[in-house]
Amino acid sequence: MMNRTELIERLEQITGPGGVFHRPGDLLVYEYDGSVDGAVDTALPAAVALPTTTEQVAAIVRLANESDLPVTARGAGTGLSGGAVAQRGGIIISLTRMDQIIEIDRDDRTALVEPGVINLELSETTLGSGFFFAPDPSSQRACTIGGNVAENSGGPHCLKYGVTTNHVLGLEVVLPDGRVVWTGGRASGGSGFDLTAAMVGSEGMLGIVTKALVRLTPVPEATLVQLADFGDIDSASQATSRIIAARIIPAALEMMDNLTIQAVEPAYHAGYPMDAGAVLLIEIDGLAEDVRSIGEEVAAICRQSGAREVRSATDRAERDLLWKGRKMALAAMGRLAPNYYLHDTVVPRSKLPATLKRVDEISHAFDLPIANVFHAGDGNLHPLMLFDRRRSGDVERVLDASKEILHYCVEVGGALSGEHGIGTEKRDHLTLVYNADDLAAMAGIKNSFDPAGTFNPEKLFPKGYMCGEVRALRAQAVAQKLGIYAI
Amino acid sequence: MPSEIGAPAVDPGRQLVPTIDGMTASEQVSPESAEEVAALLADAVAREAAVVPFGGGSALALGNPPERYDLSLSTVKLGGIIDYEPTDLVLSVGAGARFADVQSVLAEHGQTLPIDPPAAAKATIGGLIATAASGPGRLSAGTLRDLLIGISVAHPSGTVTKAGGMVVKNVTGFDLPRLYHGSLGTLGIIVSANFKVLPLPRTEATLLRASSTLDDALAAADRIRGSRIAPAALEVAWLDGGWLTAVRLAGREGTVQMLTSESNELLGDRVELLDSSASAVWWRDYVDGQAGEERAGEVLLRCAVRPRHAAQLATDLIALLAELDLELRYLAISVGLGTATMRVGLPAAEDETPLHALQERCLRLADHVTILAALAARKQGLDVWGRTPETLDLMRALKSQFDPSRVLNPGRFAGFI
Repeated sequence: MMNRTELIERLEQITGPGGVFHRPGDLLVYEYDGSVDGAVDTALPAAVALPTTTEQVAAIVRLANESDLPVTARGAGTGLSGGAVAQRGGIIISLTRMDQIIEIDRDDRTALVEPGVINLELSETTLGSGFFFAPDPSSQRACTIGGNVAENSGGPHCLKYGVTTNHVLGLEVVLPDGRVVWTGGRASGGSGFDLTAAMVGSEGMLGIVTKALVRLTPVPEATLVQLADFGDIDSASQATSRIIAARIIPAALEMMDNLTIQAVEPAYHAGYPMDAGAVLLIEIDGLAEDVRSIGEEVAAICRQSGAREVRSATDRAERDLLWKGRKMALAAMGRLAPNYYLHDTVVPRSKLPATLKRVDEISHAFDLPIANVFHAGDGNLHPLMLFDRRRSGDVERVLDASKEILHYCVEVGGALSGEHGIGTEKRDHLTLVYNADDLAAMAGIKNSFDPAGTFNPEKLFPKGYMCGEVRALRAQAVAQKLGIYAI
Repeated sequence: MPSEIGAPAVDPGRQLVPTIDGMTASEQVSPESAEEVAALLADAVAREAAVVPFGGGSALALGNPPERYDLSLSTVKLGGIIDYEPTDLVLSVGAGARFADVQSVLAEHGQTLPIDPPAAAKATIGGLIATAASGPGRLSAGTLRDLLIGISVAHPSGTVTKAGGMVVKNVTGFDLPRLYHGSLGTLGIIVSANFKVLPLPRTEATLLRASSTLDDALAAADRIRGSRIAPAALEVAWLDGGWLTAVRLAGREGTVQMLTSESNELLGDRVELLDSSASAVWWRDYVDGQAGEERAGEVLLRCAVRPRHAAQLATDLIALLAELDLELRYLAISVGLGTATMRVGLPAAEDETPLHALQERCLRLADHVTILAALAARKQGLDVWGRTPETLDLMRALKSQFDPSRVLNPGRFAGFI
């Protein structure tokens, strides 16, 4: 059995000097991710390794196996479900140093990137060639492509363009046994099971992505952003349904309620009317002629549904300003309360009005202000619960209220998460939507890739589901011998 | 909206005990519920009976000859629309529902599942998922993989499981629906599936341009691909003894009109224009040339390369067939996708030698080579799926988790899984 000093030494031999964090102060920032403290447990890793090559990642995984330590892959740590927290300690493999865009192929319309490349950076780099990477999670200025793959990230524009899984063609993966393989690739087809599909959204539990071959999307010829101002949420919801019913799929269709506007407008002056019950932010893109005529149709639908005003922006600066309020909504919440908990659930689009009513009732029942800023086009809700951590009982109330919302969303045919993942945040709610047989099928995938359960343990499956207790005891025994981490 | 159409009536013309690579099952079943499928599978495990599931029977030629074939399981009674919410753009449908029937129901609401697989009139939803079927429209609309949002599957363990749901965005758990897509019924039998559907384009049009040479046809396609026009499909084909470039446009009336004239300019002379209804018919017939029926004296196969090498692949394949002295009867090149699907005449002697040679040579030219249909005698000793994937052990592990007794389609899938 390896002691702690030896472990650090061996890791440093793999990564080179400066490639391992192990001092308590350095480890603290790896204790949590973007999730709210209280909704997700924090945990300290024994060490954080920052490899620069695939071979180093594989060597670290083999070393972890030799030392009987779990491995958790991590990108920018912006995840909101606890996915990048080393729940059972062990080694965190931070992929932020593997940040090269290896190749951009205009003919194939693909990019080959390392997992640490930042989402927005990829689009900014390819814009010059007339392409962009379509998935655009709100954290796109910080989050990494590897993280996007692990969580199957979405974003406002996935209404038209689809989520991450629709844009991943192939992956280089370090498997839990330390082997390096490719799934998928540049040519379509290929034989055997679609392991790329299994990997995307697997929350770091099946393999560590060391290269991703992603699809690039041509930049549309024209883009129009419209802001429709409604007296109440119901008319805004109705407009949303009517737009879809008119056979129009906008590039993005976002809703913000009054409370959100109250936070955003004074901070960013995006031009949202302070007295609006709700605003819709609608983006239409495509050929110039199409954008013009669809834009007119959408504006007419909004007015028929009761919009007081519809503003249009075509030039970049104006568009960016309208988007700024939406993109900065989370940051602006600080004006309303010291803390917020961002929820992520999905309901069928037609159930949006009823769900928003229920959220409002829950807000009153729990005496908890809830702002709504969300992807209306695909029914992906993001209730933002505002609270003050220092006030006793607030965290508990937030968790109780969020549970109520989850239950309601599932009742009306929705899902637990649209784009944030399950992680530790929602694992114990998984039984709301899946029974033991459903979970057994999912466990079948886990057992095929990672029979020893070393990759990102304690995630996704309900507590104790994956023979957790047994493994936890073993890990604890190892930990005590090493004297490295507390469980 | 509640179920509008029930299970489709059993079509007497629909083959109930299909022959797979010359083999016939001793038993045939048509279960009526997911639970019944699961019970049949559990029973098959107990009896060590090999099960071959089938839907419309339009792709039975796909795959290696089964190692064993005892029980033929038809999904014909698992048809019907389970749930369809036009305003939500989501659909839940039984695996045995015919694709064409589903499209008719969707079309009434101005919606569609935007894929254009071969044999659309015969194929079922379950079969299309299991075989990862697609057509030239994949260029713009992707495959069912991109539209699948939920699935129910019956397993040899005797259970029925679901994954995903009825919402268009969902990251609740591992993505099982997409893992089942293209798994040829070797992990479980799909009993129903949920999809995100899309608005039906308001109109369409097609431009066909005849060429005297392959190079000329490829160059015409290249001009379209390099323009602002994003066609619904773009193909270069060898059809009825001539080269052709086909451009399919779909969208709003004004747009299609405008893009038609822009395409016309880029293509130059010798262009035939098909209006909306003629366009749909032409593409259906064109894609049906890729229907996977085994024919004596012929093989249907698909080669795939990265899109930038599509033109080179086409040129190389033509040279190869000339060298091997084999007749090209049909060739469909999806230039933006990098695939070439072809029907090639084979020497009359029905043994495995000519196909072995053709597969081996194609593998030197393409990343993937899949034999989609050939007589069983010709398939002996080769894997119709081409190269063995480097992750075969991982795939075997998956197989042993889901179907440890190997009762589902044994031997038919890649690597003889």
